[in-house]
Amino acid sequence: MSDLKLAYWPGCVSRGFTPELHGSMALVADRLGIELLELDRANCCGAGVIAEHNQELADTLNARTFALAQSTGLAMMNICSTCQGAQSECQQRLDADSAYRAHINDALADEGLEYTKAKDGWTNKNLLWVLVEDYGLDRLKEKVTRPLTELRVGPFYGCYVIRPKHRIGYEEHPDRDLYLESVIETLGGQPVEYDGARKCCGFPVITMNRDTSLRQAGTHIADALDAGADCLVTPCPLCHLNLDMQQPEAAKVTGRDLGLAVLHLPQLVALALGFEPKELGMGKHIASTEWVESRLAGGVPA
Amino acid sequence: MPKHDVLVIGAGLAGQRAALAAAEEGVSVGIVSKVHPVRSHSNAAQGGINAALQEGDSWESHAFDTVKGSDYLGDQDAIEIMCREAPEEILHLEHLGVTFHRNAEGRLGTRAFGGASQARTYYVADITGQAIMHVLYEQLMKFSAQISRYEEYFTSSLVLDDDGRCVGAMLRSVADGSMELFEAKNVILATGGNGQIWQPTTNALICTGDGIAMAYRVGAPLMDMEMIQYHPTTLAKKGFLITEGARGEGAHLLNAQGERFMERYAPNKMELASRDVVSRAEQTEINEGRGFDDGTVALDITVVPRKRIHEALREIVLVGRDFAGVDITREPIRIKPGNHYTMGGVKTDVDGATTIPGLYAAGEVACVSVHGGNRLGANSLLDTLIFGRRAGKHAATRAKQIDVGRPSESKLADEERGIAELVGRNPDGGRRVSVLRRELGETMDRFVAVFRDEAGIQTALERVKSLQEEYPKAHIDDRGTVFNQDVLGAIELGFMLDGAECTCVAALHRTESRGAQYRTDFPERNDDEWLKHIDLTRTDEGPEVSYSPVTVTQWQPTERTY
Amino acid sequence: MPEYTLKVRRYQPETREGPYWQEFTVDLDPDLSVLDGLLQVRDSQDGTLVVRCSCKAAICGSCGTKINGQSTLACKTQISEAQDGANRRPGDHGGNPIVVEPMGNMPVVKDLVTDMESTHWEKVRRVTPWLLPEGDPPEREYVVPPESMIDVTQSMACIQCGACVSACLSMEADPEFVGPAALAKAYRFVGDPRDSQTKERLYDLAQDPHGIYDCTHCFSCVDACPKGVAPMDQIMRLRRLASHDHDIDDVNNGRRHELAFTKIIERKGTLDESLLLQESYAQGVVGKLMPTSGAIKGLIGSLPTAIRGIRTGKMRSLGKLIPGVHPKLPGDAQQHVKRVYSHSEEHREELNLYITGEEEVVPEPDEAPDPLGSAVGGGRQHMDKVTEGGSETAGQSEATPVADIEPEPDEEGGR
Repeated sequence: MSDLKLAYWPGCVSRGFTPELHGSMALVADRLGIELLELDRANCCGAGVIAEHNQELADTLNARTFALAQSTGLAMMNICSTCQGAQSECQQRLDADSAYRAHINDALADEGLEYTKAKDGWTNKNLLWVLVEDYGLDRLKEKVTRPLTELRVGPFYGCYVIRPKHRIGYEEHPDRDLYLESVIETLGGQPVEYDGARKCCGFPVITMNRDTSLRQAGTHIADALDAGADCLVTPCPLCHLNLDMQQPEAAKVTGRDLGLAVLHLPQLVALALGFEPKELGMGKHIASTEWVESRLAGGVPA
Repeated sequence: MPKHDVLVIGAGLAGQRAALAAAEEGVSVGIVSKVHPVRSHSNAAQGGINAALQEGDSWESHAFDTVKGSDYLGDQDAIEIMCREAPEEILHLEHLGVTFHRNAEGRLGTRAFGGASQARTYYVADITGQAIMHVLYEQLMKFSAQISRYEEYFTSSLVLDDDGRCVGAMLRSVADGSMELFEAKNVILATGGNGQIWQPTTNALICTGDGIAMAYRVGAPLMDMEMIQYHPTTLAKKGFLITEGARGEGAHLLNAQGERFMERYAPNKMELASRDVVSRAEQTEINEGRGFDDGTVALDITVVPRKRIHEALREIVLVGRDFAGVDITREPIRIKPGNHYTMGGVKTDVDGATTIPGLYAAGEVACVSVHGGNRLGANSLLDTLIFGRRAGKHAATRAKQIDVGRPSESKLADEERGIAELVGRNPDGGRRVSVLRRELGETMDRFVAVFRDEAGIQTALERVKSLQEEYPKAHIDDRGTVFNQDVLGAIELGFMLDGAECTCVAALHRTESRGAQYRTDFPERNDDEWLKHIDLTRTDEGPEVSYSPVTVTQWQPTERTY
Repeated sequence: MPEYTLKVRRYQPETREGPYWQEFTVDLDPDLSVLDGLLQVRDSQDGTLVVRCSCKAAICGSCGTKINGQSTLACKTQISEAQDGANRRPGDHGGNPIVVEPMGNMPVVKDLVTDMESTHWEKVRRVTPWLLPEGDPPEREYVVPPESMIDVTQSMACIQCGACVSACLSMEADPEFVGPAALAKAYRFVGDPRDSQTKERLYDLAQDPHGIYDCTHCFSCVDACPKGVAPMDQIMRLRRLASHDHDIDDVNNGRRHELAFTKIIERKGTLDESLLLQESYAQGVVGKLMPTSGAIKGLIGSLPTAIRGIRTGKMRSLGKLIPGVHPKLPGDAQQHVKRVYSHSEEHREELNLYITGEEEVVPEPDEAPDPLGSAVGGGRQHMDKVTEGGSETAGQSEATPVADIEPEPDEEGGR
C-alpha cells in the first residue's frame, strides 16, 4: 500500500494558542509515513462563528479552502473537530445546490479557484477519521513501539466532529463516534467511559457566558477523574483550550480540584510511537502532564 | 369546587376554538384535557381545511360537494351554515397567525382534495391540523387570565341536576389521582372520536370516545353511529395515515399488476373520489386477489415532482422513512384502508346543543350532521372550528341568561368509590383490561369495517356484550394515585364498549348501503326507506333505536358517482 | 419474533424511594418501535410502568424519552435500530439491553413521565409565543411573501416534544438558559412578517444573559429533534437578525465576539486569539475608550489564563502576546480573502436545506450510479485513487436541475 498523501489544513489555533498540536502532528505524520501538503494560503474555517454573522461568507471562505485543496489533486485533512464540523456544514450546502455553488464559485474566480462537488471522490477528514478509515488501525498498531499499557484515557470528541448525525457521514461510517476508543485501544491504552465524552467543552460561549462555559468543562473533567482517567485525549484544539488552558478557572467555577492532563490526539499517538513528552510540547500545557509521564514510565501504581 | 360558566372538555381544535369563542363573550371559561392540549389528535390532520374563499368559488358549490360526499345523509341546513361561514373562519385563523401556504401573489393558496369539484383546500405544508392547533394554543396562553386550563385532567362522567340539566363534570387529576367535582353552567364536549375501538386505526391511543359514552350515559341521544370512515391510504402494519394531500398532488393508486384501478370505479375523479368510494375500491381489489400478499395496494407518489414533495408532503417523506422504511420519492408505498373517523356521535343542533340543557358537543364527538354517511377530506378541521365556535358562543350566551344550582357532592363520593373498587380488584378475578381492549379492537376490525353483513355484525355485537359483562371484573396493576395510567385505561375501555355496542346496533339496523356503511347483504342505497338518521338512546337493556329526518334544503338526493 | 431487553430507569414515588433500574424482555417485530415495546410491557407485564404516548406516529410529541442516551421520541425509534445502538456502546459488545430513561433537564414525576410544565412550557411562555400584529387585521388575509410562510414552517413544525430541551448541554450547565424549544418558537414569530414586534423580541432575548447568546453551539438539539426544526439553527438566525439586521448589542458580548472574529479573518486570514479576546470585550476605539463594566470584568478575568499561557510557553511569540501583530496570509492570499468578503457581504444569501432540499445527482450514462445518491458529508471514500489520479479524471457530473414546480391548483382551476 502506498503512503498516504494529503492536503493539510492545520487550522488557526494549532498554530496559535496550541502550538504543541501543530508540532506533534508534524512528528506523527513523518513517523507514520503520511505526507502532508500544508495549505498555507488557506483561511480560517469560521468556526461556526462567521456563519452566525453571514452564512454565505462562511460557505465561500471554506469553498476557497476546499478549492485550494482540490487544486493539489489531494483529499484534505484537518486536525480540529471544529474545522471538521464547520467545514462539513458548508460543504453540505455547497454540494446540495448547483446554482448556489456556482454563485459561490463566482467569488473565487478571480483567484482562479473553483470548488467542484465530489471531484474524484474528494473528501475532507479529521485526523481521527483518517487514522481509522484511511490509514488503518492495523497499520497504526504495527508502528506502536511504546504501547500505552496501563494508561487510562478518557476520550473527548468535541461536538463538531460527532454531531449532527445527518451531516457527519454516519450513513457510510456508523462508528465515527466510537473512533477515539478504538484508537486508544490500538495504541495499547484503556479507554475510560464517562459522562462527558461526547458533550460540549463550552468553548463557543467562553466570552459570552463564562459560567456556562467553564461549568461544562469543569464538570466533564471531574466526571473523567471520577471514572479513573489518567488523562483526556481530544481531536479539537478549541476543546483543548477550554479543557486545559482554562482548567484552573473551570476548577474555580465548579468548586472542585481538577488537575487532569489533556492531550491532543497526535500527542497520544506520538507517545505510543515512541516520542518523548518534551518533544511533543507537553510542557506547554496548563494542566500538568506529569502524571501521564509517570504512568508511562511505569512508576506510580494505579 | 372549581366553577365556570362554560367548561370545555377536550382541548383539540373544537375545544380550543369553543373556549376562545366563549371567552370573547366575557364569561368564565375552563378547558379540560386528559393530555396536554397540543397532544390532542387534531395535530394528526395533515392535508388541509376547506373553504370557498377563492374568486369564482361559491359556498354553494362547497356545500353541494359535502352533501353529495355524505351520500345525502348530511343535514343540509347544517352543511350550508358550515360552508357559508368557512371563508370567514379561514381569515380569522390567518389573522391569529396560522402560517397558511401562499400563492405567488402572497395570498392564501389552495390544493386539490378528494370529492371536491374545485380546489379549495387551504393548508400548511402537510401539518395543517398541527399548525392551526398550535396557533390556537398560543391564543390560549395569551388569554390565560380569561381561560383556565386544566391540563392532564381526566373527565370520567357528566353531572346532571334533578331537573335533568347538565351542571358539571367529574374530573380526576392525572398527576395525583384526586377526584374533583367541577361546577359549570354549560359543558361542551369536544373529546373527539372513538377510533381506538378498531385495531388497527389511524387514531391515537387517546381516541377512546370518552365524550360519546359520557353523553350517552346521561341520556343524550347518539346519531349515525354506524357511519365509520375507513381512510383509503393507511400504512399496513401500523395504521398510520398517509394524507389525502398526496393524491391531491397527483399520486396514483396501483394494484399488484401495476394497474391504476380507480379507472374502473371512479373514471372522472380517479384517486380523488370520495373516501368511501376509494376505500371500497381498494378493498375490492384486495379481496379479489389483485392486491399484494400483505393485503395492500400501492400508492405511487414518485409521479409528484420532487420539489413539490419537499414543500408540501414532507411529513409523508418522514412517515415513509421512519415507519415503513420506504423513500416515497423513489418507490411506491404499500397502503390499505384503515379505520379513521367517526361521522356519527352525540346528536346536536346547529349550535352544538344536545337535547340535554347545558350539554353541548362539537367536533368529531358531535353529529350535527354535516358529514352524513361519509366525510370529505379537509372538512373535519372545518367542522371542529365552525361548530366549536358556535357552541362556545351559544353556551356563553346561555350562561349569561341562566342560573344553576350546585351539583350534589354525593356524586363525588360515588365516583371515588368506583375508582377504589377498580383499583382493589382481585387479579385472579378476571382478565386484564388491556387484553379485553385488544379483543374488542380485533373483533370490530374484522366484522364492522369496510364491508359488513348481518351475521358478521351480530357476531361482533355478541362479543361486545360478552366483554361488557366481563368488564366489571377486569383488573389493572397500578394501585397508586400518582400518574396512574392503568385506571384511565380501564375507564376508557368502558367508554369504548358503550361506543362499540352502539355502532353494532346501528349498523345492524340499517339494512342499506349508504356512504361508509356498506352491507354486502343490502348493497343498494334505498332512499325510500332509509333517507333518515338512526338515533340511539340509552336504556338499561341497551340502546333504543329511533329515527330523525334528514334536513333537505336545496339538493334532492340523486345517484352518487365520481 | 425476536426478543429484546429494555432496561428502564424507573421511579415509583409511592412505593419506592429513589430511582432504580428494571429490565423487561419483550417479543417484538423488529420494525416496531421502542414505544411499542414499552406498551407491551405495560399491557402484559407491568401496568405500573408509565410513559406519555398518544399518536405513535411522531406527531403528538408525547413520548419524549432518552434511548441509549439519545433524546428522541420513543415511537420513532425502531427497536431493531435501538438494539444496534445498544450493541455499539463502548466497553461491551453485543447483546446489550436497550437503555430507556426519562428526558433530561426536567424533574421526573414517575418512570418516564417528566414535569414539562416547570421547564419546557414555562420557557416557551417566556418568549411571548403569540402573534403580535400591528393594528387591526385587514379585510382579507395579510399579504405576505410566500417564501416567508415556507420559512417559518420549519419552526412551526415543532411538536413541543421537549427532546431538544432534554438534550441541551447549555441547560445542563445553566438551568436558566431559555433553551432551544423556546428560542425556535421565538423565531417562528421573528420570521413572520405579520408580527410587528420583531425588534422588541430580539432585543429582549439579546438582553437576557440566558438568552440567545447562552447557546453553547453543540448541535445536540439538532440531533434530538424528530421534526427537523434544528433549534440551534433558529438560534443562530436570531443572532444574525439581532446583530446584523437590527444592530442590537447583547449583554453577553456575543455580537462583539462575532464581529471581531469576522473582521479578524478579513484582515489576517487566520485567527489572532489575543486580538479576538480583546475585541470581544472592548471593540474598536469606542469600546476601548469607554469599556463597559462587563468588558473590564471579562478582560481582567482573562488575565490569569493569559499569564499561565505565557508562563508555560504557549504564548511566547509577539504575534500571540500582542493583539494585532498576528501575520496575514502569505502573498496575495489575503487580498483574495478580502475579495471574498466583499462578494459575500454584498449578497448574504442564506440557503436553508430544510426548504430547498438536496438536488438529485444524475450520473453520466456510462458511469455506475453513485450509491450515495444525494448523501451528504464527506463524499466518497477512495483515498488510494486520489494518489494516482489527477484532476483530469472526470468526477460526478453536475446535478441535473429538478423539474419545474407544477402550477398551483388554483391557477389550473381544479384537477
